[in-house]
Amino acid sequence: MKTRRTWKLNGKTVTADIPGIRRLLDVLREDFGLTGAKEGCGEGECGACTVLLDGEPVAACLIPAAQVPDGAALLTIEGVARTRAGRVLQQAYIDAGAVQCGFCIPGMVLSSYALLQRNPRPTERDIRTALSGNLCRCTGYAKIVAAVRLAARRLREEAK
Amino acid sequence: MIPNADTPRIVFPKDLDEACRLQANPRTRGRLIAGGTDLMAQWAAGVPVPERIVSLKNLPELTGIALTPDLVEIGAATTHAAIRDDARLRPLLPALVAASSSVGARQIQATGTLGGNAANASPAGDTAPALLVTGGLVLLASVRGPRTVPLDQFWTGYRQTAAAPDEIIVSFLLPPRGRAKETFRKVGTRAAQAISKIMIATRVLVKKGSIEHAAVAMGSVAATPVRLTALEQWLQGRPLTESLPEEAAAVVRETVHPIDDIRSTADYRRWAAGQLAADALRALL
Ligand SMILES: Cc1cc2nc3c(=O)[nH]c(=O)nc-3n(C[C@H](O)[C@H](O)[C@H](O)COP(=O)(O)OP(=O)(O)OC[C@H]3O[C@@H](n4cnc5c(N)ncnc54)[C@H](O)[C@@H]3O)c2cc1C
Ligand code: FES
Ligand code: FES
Repeated sequence: MKTRRTWKLNGKTVTADIPGIRRLLDVLREDFGLTGAKEGCGEGECGACTVLLDGEPVAACLIPAAQVPDGAALLTIEGVARTRAGRVLQQAYIDAGAVQCGFCIPGMVLSSYALLQRNPRPTERDIRTALSGNLCRCTGYAKIVAAVRLAARRLREEAK
Repeated sequence: MIPNADTPRIVFPKDLDEACRLQANPRTRGRLIAGGTDLMAQWAAGVPVPERIVSLKNLPELTGIALTPDLVEIGAATTHAAIRDDARLRPLLPALVAASSSVGARQIQATGTLGGNAANASPAGDTAPALLVTGGLVLLASVRGPRTVPLDQFWTGYRQTAAAPDEIIVSFLLPPRGRAKETFRKVGTRAAQAISKIMIATRVLVKKGSIEHAAVAMGSVAATPVRLTALEQWLQGRPLTESLPEEAAAVVRETVHPIDDIRSTADYRRWAAGQLAADALRALL
């Protein structure tokens, strides 16, 4: 039995026929070819599979795609990379030296993007709380926090 | 990866009535799924995926937060994020707001629900102690009709609840704190995503320097989340003095019976339980 769902995926209306409890992560990666979301732990712990559902970070490995309601807005790193704030974030991650192997980075950028959308002036604590569901095995987080601060500053300056 | 994820039949009843009818018949009954954060993690870890799944996603009766002067009703399918972000709730049920804010990280809070946390009946569920200190009720529904169960009778054993196999948790009916003070704390291995080692919620009303009413609940100190009734009785009517917190800690250490498991030892939990109770009372001084 399949469940048919229609979503706004990275701004485009798409339809998916979803068998059983196929995970949102598999639908995005395999059915839509959006491989930016990664599978790390597959159990909700690492955040590598983070995507934005109606603007909020969620773990795509924990969500049966059929549970994502019709009309929902899904944003993956491929979509965020086409936005102004997404590009500023990506550049800030590069400039701050916050990227090593890169596996965690799509999820990190999405959690950072959601944070800056709701709070353009986050404190270090706000940033650490917002990113606490995204694990990085390489960087030790300091440069990631610096990247988000840098992006926040650049976006605020642009808005002036 | 979830083995056989494509095979189960997932159905989306459109209201509570239809969901109750599905659950009434063993042939149409399915595993209830709300946010799925617990279930999907279990299935990914190798627990077999059931043949039938009934989604609670579309049930209007299970969502939303309603306020009346002496009762807060929170639908079972309300997410931790909705509880965390509802500014009206913070002054009324601060311990619950703190508990929901401490469940996993932002990704889990956006998806996981209060009803799922309660039904999961883990002794380490974060919201249970905060629910318990309210002295409130759980509203259950089935084709046999609705009924309420006091929260302190809801968790009956390790991962067991008072809900029958065909019953659905509809909502939580919670008296707000009034003039009492509430606290919530969780001592885990790491702030986010930690499966709690131990947590405490308190609701204490102090009048003229004495404790008029005390509700204290803990998680991970027994097979179920529990109210510390021995401590509550001991506290009742006692003047709030400098030495009270330490004396209370001793009462807690004599009366809790924690378990050893992979996350912690019974001795550590007994010590920490006393400490947490003392800290909560110190906050009132
Ligand atoms: C990475 C990660 C971190 C976590 N961290 C924490 C944490 O810090 N603290 C914590 O307490 N929990 C934590 N959890 C557990 C989980 O996220 C919570 O328990 C959450 O509230 C479960 O809600 P859900 O809607 O996702 O439940 P689901 O997975 O949908 O369901 C859980 C159980 O409840 C039943 N159920 C759901 N709704 C109802 C209902 N209305 N009536 C009857 N039965 C129902 C289901 O059948 C199932 O047995 C974590 C989980 C993950 C994956
Ligand atoms: S892959 Fe989803 S949280 Fe790790
Ligand atoms: S850069 Fe390697 S995991 Fe974060």
